[in-house]
Amino acid sequence: MKLNLISFILSLSLSGSGILLISCNGRAVKKGTFVATVVPENLMNENSPDDEIRYNLTGSRIASFNPDLLKPARVLTKDFYSACMPSISYDGEYMLFAGQKEKNDPWQIWEMNLNNLKFRKITSIEDDCTFPAYLPDGGLVFTRKIVNDTIKTALCLFTCRRDGSGLHQITFSPSSNLSTIVLRDGRLLTVTRNLIPSPDDPVFIVMRPDGTKADIFYRGEKGTCLPGRPNETADGNIIFAEADISGLSGGDLISITYNRPLHSRVNLTSEVNGEFNFALPFRNDSYLAGWRESDSGNYALYLFDPSEKSPGKLIFTDPGFNITDIVASDEHERQRKLPSEVDMQVKTGLLLCQNINFINPLSPGTGNHTTEATNIEVLGIDTTYGLIPVENDGSFYLKVMADTPFRIRILDEKGNTVNGPCSWLWLRPNERRGCVGCHDDPELVPFNQVPLAVKKAPVIVPVHIKELKEKIVELE
Amino acid sequence: MKKSSYRYFIAAIILLAIFAVVLLLVKKPALTDATVNKSKPEVLAGNAHKDIDKYPGSSAEKIREAGAVPVYGNWRTFTTRDGLPSDKAYTVRIDGDRVLVGTHDGLSVYQNGKWRTYTTDDGLPHNGVVSVDISDLTGDVWIATFGGLCCWSAGKFETFNQFNSGMPNDLVYNVFCYGKDVWVATGGGAGCYDTTTKQWKIFTEQNAPMHEPWTYGVSAGDGKAWIAAWGGGVIEYNIMTEQFRDYVDPDGFMEIDLQPDDGVVHDITTATAYCDSILWVSTYFGMSRYDGKNWKGYFDHDSGLASNFINFVRAEGKVVFVCSDNGLSTTDGNTWVTYKKNDNDENGKAIITSGNEKKEIPLTPSIAHNFIIGVDAQDDVLWVATSGGVCRGELIKNNR
Amino acid sequence: MRKSLRIIIPLGIIGILTGVFYFPFHKWAREHVNYMTATNDHPLMCTSCHLYIQKSGIIHKILNAQYYSPFNLALSENGKYLYVVAEEGNALLLVDTEKQKVIRKTAVGTRPHTVILDRDEKRAYVSNQWSDNISVIDLKSFSVIDTLITGNGPAGMALNSDGKYLYVVNSFSSDISVIDLSTGTEEKRLTAGNNPAGAGITPDGSRLFVTSRRTLSAPYGDTLRCELTVVNNDNRRVEERRDIKSAYLMENVAFTGSGDLALIPLIRPKNNVPTIQVERGWMMTDGIGIVELKPPGRTIQLLLDEPNTYYSDPFGIAVTPDGKKAFVSHAGVDCISVLDLDAVRDIIAGSTDEMLNAYSNYLGISSRFVIKRIPTGANPKGLAISPDGKLLYVAEHLEDRIAVISTDSLCTISNIDLGGPRRITVARHGRRLLNNAGHTFQNQYSCYTCHPDVHEDGLVYNMASIDMGRNVTNTQSLRNIGDTPPYKWNGKNQTVYKQDGMRFSTVLTRTEAFSYKELDAIVSYIMTGIPNPPDLLYNANGELTEAQKSGKAIFERTHDFHGNEIPVLNRCVTCHPPPYYTNRQPADVGTLASTDDSMLFDTPHLNNIFASPPYLHDGRAKTLEEIWTLYGKTEQHGSVNDLTKIQLNDLVEYLKSLRDPAYDHRESEILQASFGHH
Repeated sequence: MKLNLISFILSLSLSGSGILLISCNGRAVKKGTFVATVVPENLMNENSPDDEIRYNLTGSRIASFNPDLLKPARVLTKDFYSACMPSISYDGEYMLFAGQKEKNDPWQIWEMNLNNLKFRKITSIEDDCTFPAYLPDGGLVFTRKIVNDTIKTALCLFTCRRDGSGLHQITFSPSSNLSTIVLRDGRLLTVTRNLIPSPDDPVFIVMRPDGTKADIFYRGEKGTCLPGRPNETADGNIIFAEADISGLSGGDLISITYNRPLHSRVNLTSEVNGEFNFALPFRNDSYLAGWRESDSGNYALYLFDPSEKSPGKLIFTDPGFNITDIVASDEHERQRKLPSEVDMQVKTGLLLCQNINFINPLSPGTGNHTTEATNIEVLGIDTTYGLIPVENDGSFYLKVMADTPFRIRILDEKGNTVNGPCSWLWLRPNERRGCVGCHDDPELVPFNQVPLAVKKAPVIVPVHIKELKEKIVELE
Repeated sequence: MKKSSYRYFIAAIILLAIFAVVLLLVKKPALTDATVNKSKPEVLAGNAHKDIDKYPGSSAEKIREAGAVPVYGNWRTFTTRDGLPSDKAYTVRIDGDRVLVGTHDGLSVYQNGKWRTYTTDDGLPHNGVVSVDISDLTGDVWIATFGGLCCWSAGKFETFNQFNSGMPNDLVYNVFCYGKDVWVATGGGAGCYDTTTKQWKIFTEQNAPMHEPWTYGVSAGDGKAWIAAWGGGVIEYNIMTEQFRDYVDPDGFMEIDLQPDDGVVHDITTATAYCDSILWVSTYFGMSRYDGKNWKGYFDHDSGLASNFINFVRAEGKVVFVCSDNGLSTTDGNTWVTYKKNDNDENGKAIITSGNEKKEIPLTPSIAHNFIIGVDAQDDVLWVATSGGVCRGELIKNNR
Repeated sequence: MRKSLRIIIPLGIIGILTGVFYFPFHKWAREHVNYMTATNDHPLMCTSCHLYIQKSGIIHKILNAQYYSPFNLALSENGKYLYVVAEEGNALLLVDTEKQKVIRKTAVGTRPHTVILDRDEKRAYVSNQWSDNISVIDLKSFSVIDTLITGNGPAGMALNSDGKYLYVVNSFSSDISVIDLSTGTEEKRLTAGNNPAGAGITPDGSRLFVTSRRTLSAPYGDTLRCELTVVNNDNRRVEERRDIKSAYLMENVAFTGSGDLALIPLIRPKNNVPTIQVERGWMMTDGIGIVELKPPGRTIQLLLDEPNTYYSDPFGIAVTPDGKKAFVSHAGVDCISVLDLDAVRDIIAGSTDEMLNAYSNYLGISSRFVIKRIPTGANPKGLAISPDGKLLYVAEHLEDRIAVISTDSLCTISNIDLGGPRRITVARHGRRLLNNAGHTFQNQYSCYTCHPDVHEDGLVYNMASIDMGRNVTNTQSLRNIGDTPPYKWNGKNQTVYKQDGMRFSTVLTRTEAFSYKELDAIVSYIMTGIPNPPDLLYNANGELTEAQKSGKAIFERTHDFHGNEIPVLNRCVTCHPPPYYTNRQPADVGTLASTDDSMLFDTPHLNNIFASPPYLHDGRAKTLEEIWTLYGKTEQHGSVNDLTKIQLNDLVEYLKSLRDPAYDHRESEILQASFGHH
């Protein structure tokens, strides 16, 4: 009730000026303004399941403001019960967001014309759809809740066209995928948290927009989570908030380089008190960052300079409300448009491993083992897809049912587990992937040698399938 | 004293005087510091020079009678017991401070008193190494094997065969480096590889005056190459004009030399060697010498030649070393020194033949075996490849 | 009224004709362009294919321009004068480093490669790679006073310690000419590795290091070995042939002043691994080879790349006089890597041999010794450091410019314009694209990487077309291929436009495809700007040797030597007719392997075939001879079983004499002109 009253007053007070703006010039949301998700303070501490709280921002609003003008923010989604997670089109004309028209509606993806604030629904799905982002190919990616026997309950990534057609699921692991952005190289960077067998700490995963070549990008220290949306800077860094798993909504601002994300972590706010929940690159190496002093306070927007030991100058605050993310409403450079090897008429993908017994002298202990492994077992969520002997050089070559999650563990000749199982994998239809070894160091490149396994036909997984009739695709 | 006997006496004195002068002239250089310095301490390690006075008086006299033809003694034999892969040694070549020996089971290198063997595992195309030569320009070692030609350069082996190059045939009997060219004699013709243009010229009965492509030996000098062609005598090839000239036995295939010194003694030739404007040609039926005008034939019955069955010849200065099935002979065309091993023990002898006179010097020990296929000499050392191992002899110096 | 009719009637007729012909023409044009480009949304721009691919004539002259293309550099001892080899200008330029401008220019031979100065700086030596000679330049008069004959394709050079001998690396004939400067003649020729290029004398003057670009021939799947040839300066003989494993394209070599290290830029290809992804360095990696000049004398390879960013096509290398920093030019990503050599020494000292071996495949190691990446103009190649070590000069090959970089601030402080054309022609744009890795995912490799010198790298790749481990193919040359479609070994691409289009990006570059404007440029360059070098080794003047004439007769024969008629399809000349020696038809020559999918192979063109080993679609034949001695026994690849060894040799000699037809007649002028273009 309180929320409705606040939102009613807020929308009433700001929508008037909005209408005025539209009548003054041709664009409702002026160039140079920012749009932010604004969440009533009482919801931030609502004790709901931890994966939910990151997106179930009931009662949230999307507001625009200009950091240079001391004008109050203007709510753009006054027609929605909840609206959050804005994403701006490359031409700066449109905004995607996740919204609920009414309180009990499922979250869906909407698009708003920033010239006239007219909006339309893109997805019409019974499940919640959140975290939308524009893709370089003109479509969009978003998170959708999935419940089925293959992956149980998960928040998977989907892509579709801007008219909602061409809906495709692109991730297939039993995990939550949140806060997705597109890197300059054209790949998706998403916060992922494996849920089976037990929830892990969230990590950053990269993949191509067709869901292929999914790979670890960044893993924080144990017991940390990644609230909020990461952002890529012009000089090739990724900026994001990293919080203690119990803190949930905020913590320190971390910077990693695109070139070497796993070994370039820098804490930008180690000497700043309070909690940050996001940072957006702004001007002259400064950031628009969300900060609050303590759990009892609200996240407000500050102009943060990493060289200073303070959250910086207060840019925008809204009493009783938290700011949970922000994007610039201007046109911006389109990322690389990556080609796709996926062919939906193919039922399988191919996986090559060079040597499961490879011992990495540079990272002793990580996946290294002294016992010689002779077999691998491919595991589903609650089943096994079969035992496969590896070649003498430790290589194996699999043809795996596409879009099916699996893990691999390696066994010695007596059937004892030598290593694994590894984290969840999936292959898209017609995808071809390779790895150097099990639990290999992502910074190791393959040895230039022909694996014995590729001198034979690939082993079909599940192994009980002896023959497959499917479309043959010649890539080269 | 009769007039005639007086004339003989005077003639004998004059001959002796001439012989003594020649002996002094020829032997003097051997005593210069330069010559001594050239000898390789590594090769000679542990072996003192034997000078003539260390031999019994009678032997010393006999050795002096060898005149310009060097006499080698203090023989040492190397066999599998010493580290050779096989006692069947096909060829030997001295390369500075090392000696390369081609055997039935690989190439062995003797350096710093140790043997190291290279086989197909190291990159040789075949373990049967029958001929080795070294390029004076590059120092590269060219190796003739039963499975192709191989260039051994700075430790790396590169194979040329009839499949991957213009090589005439993989059965390579002889290799000879001449400037930038590498000549080979093979079972399918002779070939010349230009190491700068990487091009092959090959010579068979189709484009050269041969009866068949089989060639056993090749050597070159003064802008010409001489190919020992089975049944074809000697094929002379002028490298500049690309013209051929063949020397065949006027007596054809007859195994006896009807008309002496009328040409090469037989058409079945086994090797050629050229030095100091003299061409030496070996056959299985005797040996020939050609000075550019006249031929002269040598046989075991009318000279000091160990046997008419000759496998290989190598010329050094005015002297030629002749490898036969019954010993090693050395000659300047007049005086002969032939080395033979006793049948029943390790000892043997050096037979010095001058005119009709034959004198024997006992050698203890002697060469390892009388079947000899390869030989090489440098400074004071002679290496011989035999069917019973490879032997090293030292020059017996004449101090007088 | 009549007056108006006179206007209306013709206009009406024109209108009717336009109405009648426009739609059929538009339909035909759409189909034609869709076929040629293998797309369906190409704007119907006739100029895309019909304007920019003119090889000669007035349009060609108007559309193209003559560039200098600086390639290598040398600096005077006082640092005042910079000598610049203009690869396409066929000239040596003298730059005043204080005035920062070109003050003298002299013509040299064709495609000059390297310039070096003698010790007292009286003479410069310029290697003319396409003339097989060295231009000797008197620096006082700045004119050519002598020409020294070399082997085929002279590239890198070095003077021995007393300056009496000039070592010339012959990149095409893969050997080293030792030239006695007292006579100006070649004393001897030493065999080097495959396609050698770089040369350098160790600081103590005792040895010459020569780096190779291609690997030594070996069957597909064998470990790659690229030779570092070491020549003893005393006897001028090769004393060591060191195999640098799993690497190639070792373009240059430099030494630290103290003589503890030799540094060699190199590329580590993954040709034996199925090309299934670019991520995680599965196609190409770039690195530096380090040779310890003191015991234990190991060879170490460290990658210059980073996990998500690659620095392709390392070319030049220069070391500061104090031996603290090294600079490597990356021609494929337009930047210079700055290496902290003390950090490199620490890595070597603090690592086991096992770790050092692992570093050659470890993308993280560069963060320990690469201290900066300095951006440059297009396609940086040769480097030179001022004697005081303060300035680095960079030859920006496709920018016609020299960059001047401070070795202290590690920033570009100025650029020296060499005076080439300011405008960038379409073909020049295409050449830049072909040389740049920006259109490959994470900049991992450029077209040039697998096609060095716009030729081919001599490697066999597993393109994993349908299945991994199958259909391995030998890289094909890009030289003068414009007139010999279709492309690919299976001939599936009817045009260069298709070859480099979407398929190319899906399978090879795995990033955003070229735009149509970029495709126009690439096609223009490939179709017009890549001439073959002259065949100076086997056919310098068009006069065939006796052996080649005999080989020609065999190539063109209709009857075998037994008098039997050879079936038309089994005659060499049927599938390989002049001038390009291809009928551009698919054929089965009995070479389909059990690991190949059933297919016919495109008939390759044969001009300059001597320069493209290995042979056949999967590179199984190391030499031309092997095509028939080992792999032609079924008589499907021409009738050869009646040939004697001499005749087969003659045929091979003839094949080696096949050169670009432009050298055979008046078109040679056009080709010579095109040398200077793009």
